[in-house]
Amino acid sequence: MKKLIVLLLALALALPLAACGPSQDTTAVVRYGLSNAWDTLMPYNSPSGSNYTRIVCDKIYDRLAYVHADGSLDPRGAVSWESGDSGMSVVFHLDENAAFHDGTPVTAAHWADTIALMTNPDCPALGRSVFNVLAGTDESGAAIPGEALGAEAVDAYTLRLTFKTPTTPEDFLLDRNREFYVLPTHLLEDTDPAEVMDLALWEAPIGSGPCKFVEELPGSQLTLQANPDYQLGRPGFDLLVITVMDKSNLLPSLMAGDLDYYAFGGNLSAESAQTAREGGIEVLEGTVPNSFYELMLNNETIPSSALRRAIDLALDKQALCLHTAQGLGEPTATDLTPGTTYTSSLTWSRDVAEAEALLAEGGYDGRTYTLACTSNRSGLAALMQQQLGEAGINVTIATVDSATLFSGMAEGQYDMAIASHTPGALPLWFTESRFSAGNNIFHVSDLTPYATLISQIKAAADIGTRQALVDELQALLASERPFIPLWFGRTLHAQSPTVDNIDYPSSSFSNENVWDWTLRAD
Amino acid sequence: MGRYIRRRLITAVPVFFGITLLVFLMVNLAPGSITDLMGEGSAAGADKAALEAALGLDRPLPLRYAGWLGDLLRGDLGESYFYDRPVSRLIAQRVGPSLLLTGSGVALAVAIALPLGVLAAWKPRSPWDRLASALSLISYGVPGFFLCLAGIDLFSVTLGWLPTHGMYTFGTFTSLTDLLRHLVLPAGVVCISSLGELVKQTRAACLEALGQDYIVTARAKGLTEGGVMVRHAFRGSLVPVLTTILSHIPHILGGSVVVEQIFGWPGMGSLLFSGISQRDYPVVMGVTVVIALAVLLTNLLLDLVYGLADPRVRYGKG
Repeated sequence: MKKLIVLLLALALALPLAACGPSQDTTAVVRYGLSNAWDTLMPYNSPSGSNYTRIVCDKIYDRLAYVHADGSLDPRGAVSWESGDSGMSVVFHLDENAAFHDGTPVTAAHWADTIALMTNPDCPALGRSVFNVLAGTDESGAAIPGEALGAEAVDAYTLRLTFKTPTTPEDFLLDRNREFYVLPTHLLEDTDPAEVMDLALWEAPIGSGPCKFVEELPGSQLTLQANPDYQLGRPGFDLLVITVMDKSNLLPSLMAGDLDYYAFGGNLSAESAQTAREGGIEVLEGTVPNSFYELMLNNETIPSSALRRAIDLALDKQALCLHTAQGLGEPTATDLTPGTTYTSSLTWSRDVAEAEALLAEGGYDGRTYTLACTSNRSGLAALMQQQLGEAGINVTIATVDSATLFSGMAEGQYDMAIASHTPGALPLWFTESRFSAGNNIFHVSDLTPYATLISQIKAAADIGTRQALVDELQALLASERPFIPLWFGRTLHAQSPTVDNIDYPSSSFSNENVWDWTLRAD
Repeated sequence: MGRYIRRRLITAVPVFFGITLLVFLMVNLAPGSITDLMGEGSAAGADKAALEAALGLDRPLPLRYAGWLGDLLRGDLGESYFYDRPVSRLIAQRVGPSLLLTGSGVALAVAIALPLGVLAAWKPRSPWDRLASALSLISYGVPGFFLCLAGIDLFSVTLGWLPTHGMYTFGTFTSLTDLLRHLVLPAGVVCISSLGELVKQTRAACLEALGQDYIVTARAKGLTEGGVMVRHAFRGSLVPVLTTILSHIPHILGGSVVVEQIFGWPGMGSLLFSGISQRDYPVVMGVTVVIALAVLLTNLLLDLVYGLADPRVRYGKG
């Protein structure tokens, strides 16, 4: 009886409204879900510097190239590129059909002026450090007065970028492409660099990307329309409506037909894959790693490399990967992304006896280490705690949010922490930013050996020399174990039931081929 | 009464600033800041220091609070660290959707709870009483996030009747029908979440009133049972019921964090959630100001309404 009453009430409430149905409209709309908000539509002024901001700016602004998940490159703002000056510069030949949304053609001067403006020390650009590889800039990416800036318009459609160290086009694009955007500098000519970030232009931006800005409710919704004149083709929709919603609602919305796609690449956990399939959603298995799991270590509170290696040997990475990613991943001994140019012969294995011996060698006094993790990884942390316990290492778990975890590691509050990252194709994608004085998150007492090898790898001109140096760095990391690489994970992609030609895996590089997207006729 | 209102407003001032100080300390002393959430830039160290300087996070805490307070007294809630927009503008954009969502949810709950609570009190152990108990149990016992997901699963995924998220289908207002379709599920969850307390409070207050001498007198005078319930018992129970209803006002203004977050509803609750998770202190403080003011004004309003609902309440000098 009670069930009947509840059902009748629900029907009475829902039927009349459902009967009205959605308003009929001939506009071709792609409804796009995002689990976190972008912070700004000015790509060089993002406090978070997050992939959520990048994936949104990717639609409005143009970049030099399109990066595929396997590291291969396709033309975008530039049609071709080549090395120059014995590897010290890269020359980009720009697409002459590219134009800003106000109709102004995109020229090399726009690119050079964008870089000049953002590296101007008077301009308060938060994302300036992306330029610190260019000649004439300091470590923060600010232009050094009196030095020639490494960004030059050779002619109307030829851009030359000059670097501090030899850099191949592939190295540069794989590392920095996602943060290099061309701005409409013709609209900024009379603006004081100090006031550029305050312009109303960034609240209704004009870019040269595949979509034009229509409307924004900050942190909640963004409406874009297809750019009919985009040089790679008009996207196959009229409007792209990006809505921020909870992660838990992304797949249900796709299954209910209220979303056409969600970033990044419709990522799906193995647990949800069955639900998706039962709901009529096709699931595609990713072919390249899109996540890298590591155990961050505090080298100050775990000062002995023998102890750190003991922790490494006590972990069963296969079991950890199986638990977290249902086996969709490869346990690893290094941070080198599998399938890329750079490889390592190092292997991992669990050896509890050896771990116990190393604990004795390192003088482990039975203290309890604090392992920090976010709530969604508490199960993984518990498994680690159990495995470490089997080797005699005592661990207590602190479940915290991301900000607390990273600040706690930076301040030396925790001994270990579980983190994951989006891997890159370059050999220094992980290490370069973590072994510097400004970001010594592992609290390594002497950064010199790492910094020396990292700078040598960056300066190495040919792949053979570089691979040898990479091997040397990986050997150093294996003997010192400042952090523990766990596994590289592959993802599953929930395929859109309504949009074709989506390059799902490449969204991990914060770019999406929306110009190829087409809405199915039915 | 004018003097009473003035006195209450004056005493509210230190309470208000006390709340802001407490919240300011809580959010600023929580571990981490927005600079710890920066992306995997290749020069995070340099960016982090620059960002801290740009946002003024390198200044001592008392100076930051004094600065924020000074801006507040000039009517400026500051700029969001995350969105780089004035907080007042962000709040202005979010108040309307929150009012609509929580307002309609609570209004629906009131519309169901008052008659149901009265009926349950009037006829104990009747089907109405059992329905009231069942609804209260669901309201108290089932977490909001579960109601959200269960609602989405049933009405959106399985039946396909209602949309799963957002306020509009195409990102902007196209028709009232479209807005209502998007409102039904989240407002339904807010309604169910508020229902238990309202039903229980109404039922308990009516039951208590029914035991009073004036009810016996009313019956002795020959009034019908319906008249006794509506004109005497219900009126007599209004003070606690009004307290419960009006105590929802800050909730209505502040939005419902869980419901707005799951349904992607662009209200104050989701703004607060993002402010806390991004360590966006100005946003958290801005929303706190709005909620604190709402709480203080609601309390004052409650005191004034008591007088209208119950003639025995007088505003003395005490």
